[in-house]
Amino acid sequence: MKILIIEDEKELSESIAAYLKGEDYVCEIASNFNKAIEKTELYDYDCILLDITIPGGNGLDILKELKANKKMDGVIIISAKNSLDDKINGLTLGADDYLSKPFHLSELNARIAAIIRRKNFDGHSKIVFENLCIDTQSKVVTVENKELELTKKEYELLLYFVSNKKRLISKDAIAEHLWGNDMSGNFDFIYTHIKNLRKKLMDAGKADYIKSVYGMGYKFTAQ
Amino acid sequence: MKLLAKYNRLNILVTIIVLLLSAIFYYFFIKAVLIHQLDKNLLAEERELKDYVKEENQLPEPSNYKDEQEVYSHINDSQIIRKFSSIDVFNKEHDENISYRQLEFPVTVAGKMYRIDVRKSQEETEDLIQLILEITLAMVLILLITLFITNRFVLNKLWSPFNSTLNQIKKFNLSGTNDIYLQLTDINEFKELNGAVYTMTKRASHDYNEIKSFTENASHEIQTPLAIIKSKLELLSQGESLKEEQMNTIQSIYETTNRLSKLNQSLILLTKIDNRQFHENEEVNLSTIVHNHLNNYEELIAAKLITVTKNIENNVKVTMNETLADILISNLITNAIKHNIKNGSIDVTLNETSFSISNSGIELDADPAELFERFKKDKVNSDSLGLGLSIVKKICDTYGFMVSYNHNEKIHIVTIQFSPNF
Repeated sequence: MKILIIEDEKELSESIAAYLKGEDYVCEIASNFNKAIEKTELYDYDCILLDITIPGGNGLDILKELKANKKMDGVIIISAKNSLDDKINGLTLGADDYLSKPFHLSELNARIAAIIRRKNFDGHSKIVFENLCIDTQSKVVTVENKELELTKKEYELLLYFVSNKKRLISKDAIAEHLWGNDMSGNFDFIYTHIKNLRKKLMDAGKADYIKSVYGMGYKFTAQ
Repeated sequence: MKLLAKYNRLNILVTIIVLLLSAIFYYFFIKAVLIHQLDKNLLAEERELKDYVKEENQLPEPSNYKDEQEVYSHINDSQIIRKFSSIDVFNKEHDENISYRQLEFPVTVAGKMYRIDVRKSQEETEDLIQLILEITLAMVLILLITLFITNRFVLNKLWSPFNSTLNQIKKFNLSGTNDIYLQLTDINEFKELNGAVYTMTKRASHDYNEIKSFTENASHEIQTPLAIIKSKLELLSQGESLKEEQMNTIQSIYETTNRLSKLNQSLILLTKIDNRQFHENEEVNLSTIVHNHLNNYEELIAAKLITVTKNIENNVKVTMNETLADILISNLITNAIKHNIKNGSIDVTLNETSFSISNSGIELDADPAELFERFKKDKVNSDSLGLGLSIVKKICDTYGFMVSYNHNEKIHIVTIQFSPNF
């Protein structure tokens, strides 16, 4: 899987690349407009992370160029301006998602995974982890071929964990992923949620995948 | 007191005094002139009479008309002094006193001394003076009325550029989009005033916009370094060999960074609302938004064992920006959940005129009115930024909604009235 990171802040693009390497993605970095155009013309990427404000031009023009050339690359806009206009413009031009800075790397990772699933398997994607199988199309989770009854938020939480398996996910990232900005900073809720999901998974498959890592967050790993 | 009224009062007072004084002066002056004229006539009569006596050596037949009389009386000595005087003589024919101007002088006819009184009626003179006075008074009256009307209407019209400028200044709002509009005038003072007002408001607007865009740009610029710190911390926390102590430090930096970034985002939002960047209004179905948010936080509500009582009318529509409506409702609902207690309650009421949400919670230490101010928060929950309610207030202010906060023992109620007239 090839990812192109179009971002002028070297430190940020390197962090993203370092995080994504763990997922067997090959990451390339373009730090200005011309390099980005060059790379998108020469190669096809599974997903492009696009910063709108880059030196030498506007990120949205790269998006226009991609769509004009009928390129199928998935595009996630990452912008420092959490502006509605940018978001609407980007999505109308054919971007797949929009993420405003600063974001959690785990959130970015989950969104990239979702886009790649959509692009590569037309949504008919089954994620398998040990004895766990998630059908992202029908949103059905099975453990050892038995269907697992999950609430909507529990499903989202499980998918988030599986997309970021073996990674430490902070409580804040989880809160933001499930309930958006307004609920972050309140971790009691997450604790109850994780407890419920963990119990359901253990009841079904006798395996405890969710590990608490000190006070920081949780990690989803095989035993 | 209005400048106009003060000026009018002074103007009319001075005018009346000057006009009255000049009327009095005028009266005496005219009277003196007319009497002088009469006296000249009397002197002519005297000369005629003396000429007659010199030629004829006898007195002429005395005339006795209403307007002219001659009276001769025999006297013994020549001590009579020639003099003018004004006298009243009773006229039997007309049964009234008639005032005369009289000249008395001595004449010697055939060795006999006579005193001659030549009189001319002053009636005509007085009639003339009266007429002149009447005309003068009428003129004064007309002048006063004219002055009054001029002051009232013409001056009002003259001052209209000033009043218009004043209204514009009153209406002027730094954060508003309307430029100041000044009425054109050819009066130098007002031109100067308008010029000064125009320059001042332009400069104020310019400075204000500068500060606003600085705030916005600074906030945006802060987002990128924050993103870098956050991503580095996330990478750092992935390390397998980290000890608990190090992890706790990372966790605490991470949480602080998150708080900083939330704070920054809230400030950007407030600036954006201030800058009217959410200008597209539409009919927003609040009922749907309220239901959606309550559903979204269903698990959170359940986790705290909170009882929700919904009293939500269907299809309540309010004209506002959809994003802001969403932020407004979300803020209030999450507040009600965050600050709630275990086994607590939330009451949501929505109808055509108002939205109100009340929740159980701990008693408040802060002054309720101050909670809408930026960075004011109850000290108990230090996690909250203290910007949530000021965002709510700012959104309500934008649309002229009335927002109020009440607390009754341990129940906190926020009410928004969509139309302040109710």
